[in-house]
Amino acid sequence: MKFTRRGFLKLSGLSVAAVASGLGFDLEATAAHGHALKLAGCTKIPSICHFCSGGCGLLLHIKDGKLVHLDGNPDNPINEGTLCPKAASLAQVAYSPERPKNPLYRAPGSDEFVDITWEEAYDRIAKKIKEVRDKTWTSTEEITNAKTGAKETVTVNRAEGICMIGSAEVDNEESYLLSKLARLIGTPFHEHQARI
Amino acid sequence: MSPSFGRGAMTNSWQDMQNSECFLIAGSNCAECHPIAMKWVNRARAKGAKVIVVDPRFTRTASQADVFAQIRPGTDIAYLGAMINYYIENRLYDEFYVLNFTNALYKISKDFGFKDGMFSGFNPETRKYDYASWAYQLDAEGKPVKADSLDDPDCVFQKLKTHYSRYTFEVASNITGIPVAKIKQIADTFAAAKPGNIFYALGMTQHTTGVQGIRCYAIIQLLLGNVGKAGGGIQALRGEPNVQGSTDMANLNANLPGYIPYPTNQEKTLNDFAAKHGSVQYKPIVALLKAWFGANATAENEYGYQWLPKNNPANMPIQPQFFSKMEEGQFKLLLNWGSNSTVSIPDRKLVARGLSSLEMLVVADIFNTETAQFWKEEGLNPAKIPTEVIFLPAAFVYEKAGSMTNSSRLVQWKEVALKPLNDCHPDLDMLDHIFKRVRALYSGSNDPKDEPILKANWDYGDHEASALKVLQELGGYNDTTGKPIAAIGEYLAAPIGTVSTGCWVYAGVTPEGKNLADRRGNADPTGLGLNKDYAFAWPGNIRVLYNRASCDAQGQPVDSKRKLIWWDPVQNLWVGNDGPDVVDKTKGPDTPEGKIGFKQNPEGVGRLFAATYKSGTVAPEGTAAVVPIRGAGMTVDGPMPEFYEPIESPTANLLHPEVQSNPCAKIVSKEFGNPDEYPYVLTSYGVVEHFCAGAITRNIPWLNEIAPEPYAEISKNLAHKIGVKEGDEVEVSSARGKLVVRALVTDRIQTLKINGKDQETIGMPWSWGFASLSPGPSTNNVTMNACDPGAGTPEYKCCLVNIRRA
Repeated sequence: MKFTRRGFLKLSGLSVAAVASGLGFDLEATAAHGHALKLAGCTKIPSICHFCSGGCGLLLHIKDGKLVHLDGNPDNPINEGTLCPKAASLAQVAYSPERPKNPLYRAPGSDEFVDITWEEAYDRIAKKIKEVRDKTWTSTEEITNAKTGAKETVTVNRAEGICMIGSAEVDNEESYLLSKLARLIGTPFHEHQARI
Repeated sequence: MSPSFGRGAMTNSWQDMQNSECFLIAGSNCAECHPIAMKWVNRARAKGAKVIVVDPRFTRTASQADVFAQIRPGTDIAYLGAMINYYIENRLYDEFYVLNFTNALYKISKDFGFKDGMFSGFNPETRKYDYASWAYQLDAEGKPVKADSLDDPDCVFQKLKTHYSRYTFEVASNITGIPVAKIKQIADTFAAAKPGNIFYALGMTQHTTGVQGIRCYAIIQLLLGNVGKAGGGIQALRGEPNVQGSTDMANLNANLPGYIPYPTNQEKTLNDFAAKHGSVQYKPIVALLKAWFGANATAENEYGYQWLPKNNPANMPIQPQFFSKMEEGQFKLLLNWGSNSTVSIPDRKLVARGLSSLEMLVVADIFNTETAQFWKEEGLNPAKIPTEVIFLPAAFVYEKAGSMTNSSRLVQWKEVALKPLNDCHPDLDMLDHIFKRVRALYSGSNDPKDEPILKANWDYGDHEASALKVLQELGGYNDTTGKPIAAIGEYLAAPIGTVSTGCWVYAGVTPEGKNLADRRGNADPTGLGLNKDYAFAWPGNIRVLYNRASCDAQGQPVDSKRKLIWWDPVQNLWVGNDGPDVVDKTKGPDTPEGKIGFKQNPEGVGRLFAATYKSGTVAPEGTAAVVPIRGAGMTVDGPMPEFYEPIESPTANLLHPEVQSNPCAKIVSKEFGNPDEYPYVLTSYGVVEHFCAGAITRNIPWLNEIAPEPYAEISKNLAHKIGVKEGDEVEVSSARGKLVVRALVTDRIQTLKINGKDQETIGMPWSWGFASLSPGPSTNNVTMNACDPGAGTPEYKCCLVNIRRA
């Protein structure tokens, strides 16, 4: 049914109803305008849910660089627009006050984190990688050849003191660089939560 | 699944679930933990599909079931073995499929044996098996000898029949607590409605017998002829958004990207590596080394093979063992990306001890996790913890471009939707900056040890790293054409040493000027949910793995309603609605190659019995070594699944009391309890509102309002026995630790009858820790760090506890 002010007043039969309910304007226009206020002018950008391995499509409604609304992507054939409670709550991560604003540093023995710059964080990490790599380097080790039983010295090129826990929660490209970085600096000790 | 089918991946897709006639959902509460699965299960149910759920609790998934059975945690192999026995004894298997697509007829070595719970070849000192006797009888050419019929006493089928003859419904019922009639009903229901589909998740893998439980599923599906078919298969419902991708990218100690076995100190040269792992692994590792070292990787320097760090098999800690290696002093620096071990590792007190022993801990995450703040936990003295900690705030999923691979191998690309909040950065940028800085520190070094860093191919942009450039490295390049690889066929056909790819299973994802992971064509003309033009599924955009096995001897679909692929005799080509998973699209069903349903296995068939076997003796190009083409994936604790009690169990092993639990299990925890002190079985689980260790979801107010705290779910009988009512605080304790939570008194858990005695199960969600907006006690205070010997997955799903009013 088409809802117009005239029709509504006819239905109610009394202009008092309009006054009592606070109405006195075009309902259809109001509904449309209310919707427009939130989503009009938004750019819709698809993304992917960050929780279980479903790969459900998200649709982010962005206006002036800000996230206005997040829902399921109806064009993604996996979820066809539906989302579970966790995925539907993902908008709350975008501007969460709980998210740290910058890198943090905790000194040995300290009971607090202090803010540091990215520059300082990268500098400390790179120097530590070099330091531990250099002091724990194993270039060769003696093995018993499994086929011949003979003792042999073989090249192994391992940084024994460095380990890495990668992630099933970052993108493929990041996950790949985790693997590549670990092996280039010399650590085969690279694991992640797929194991658990 | 890899030792059974050749690939470890989920066989079908979410959308494909609508094609099933029956589901066995056991070890997964998908209604809560993978809600998208339930959407498609319900679509199949609307068309009449049956749902069977087996779980220690009456879950939300169980509420949708036609058949529900409550099981004692950790005993699945007992009832699954009984199903295998029943299918064989009553000839309920698909004979054409078993004869053509499995190794049922292959004759097993006379040296193979099984007695009193042990397979032949066990070394009690190392607690490992020597696989030598788990072999086929071989002919003069080294090929497996096949029996003339399934009745041959040496053949795999008879070995299976003998092995599972001990698994009667009665024995299974005594072990599992599922009534005999219910086990029969499960077996009959699942065999009657085809295609049947099996789902599992962590409920099945988090055991010291996890791999063998999945092997039972594989055996059942091979016997019933359900693999390679629309609506069939085994769906590993994986736990994290990109766990398929991160596994593909080898964030694991025994692999390089693309499931290349990680070289050990026994493979001194690239030729040694090829000799051990087969020529089939030679091409991928050369392509990977070319991706990693670019022009510096040449045939003369073994493509840089010597630059790779080599594993020492005697010291290959898995993640749950990392923390011991920290405490023992080996590891001094941990780089930790997007994971929260302080909450997620079983018997978690070990984590704080390990992290406290480090010189530096680096954590990159969205929120400041318990792991980054481990030194703040109550009971620790920060003044005595010398570890430097650096926290790097990471950009969230929609704040960065990149791809993720979902459970069904679908690689989906996304663009940046929002600028990163605050001064957060994508992990990609962090890795790029860190590597470049380390390289700068080594600049000018002539030390051979620094060559891998200085000779690496690492160029993803000057300031901000480009994810697309990285994806293109995965997709690969062809030196001959000078262009990106257009399709996996091009990679497979190229001579060794002429192509590079960072992960060969992704070869062809980025043809020149294209990004197939970013395709948005969502049409579904067949109605089977294949969506072939949506994103990109590895390998080669195949949506249903092993789909050759959906065809008959003439290469035509056995199921006319669910046609995936077929042989077109006019074009002389395998064609179809899906990408054909065949050895060679031009080899018809009358050729040896054209009959192969499981091309990743050296035998070309599905493996009911996981025998040790390597096919062929062809030398790879560019090497002098004579090497096998392909080696079989192995299960380290037996070629056929055997039931073992969990490491902590309330009862004796009914099948072989002298071999109580898995003799190969990796034990990390030091303290274990007995049923006199700790009489109840604890099983941990997830809820729909929280995700894994909760680092993100416990910082989302909406979710905290719905699910604010953990609890212990107990039966009414147990509540009565210990004198608590709903909402009372209870202390749950094990030999390793304790925690206090509220009791949830429920009908969802019932008292079971095990081996003639009443047995109680306790259920607890585990996603809480001491930090975040909504802190709570961690269930992993009490769980046990003992792992499956093959997968290394800890037995989170069962340990012994006590419970009392707090």
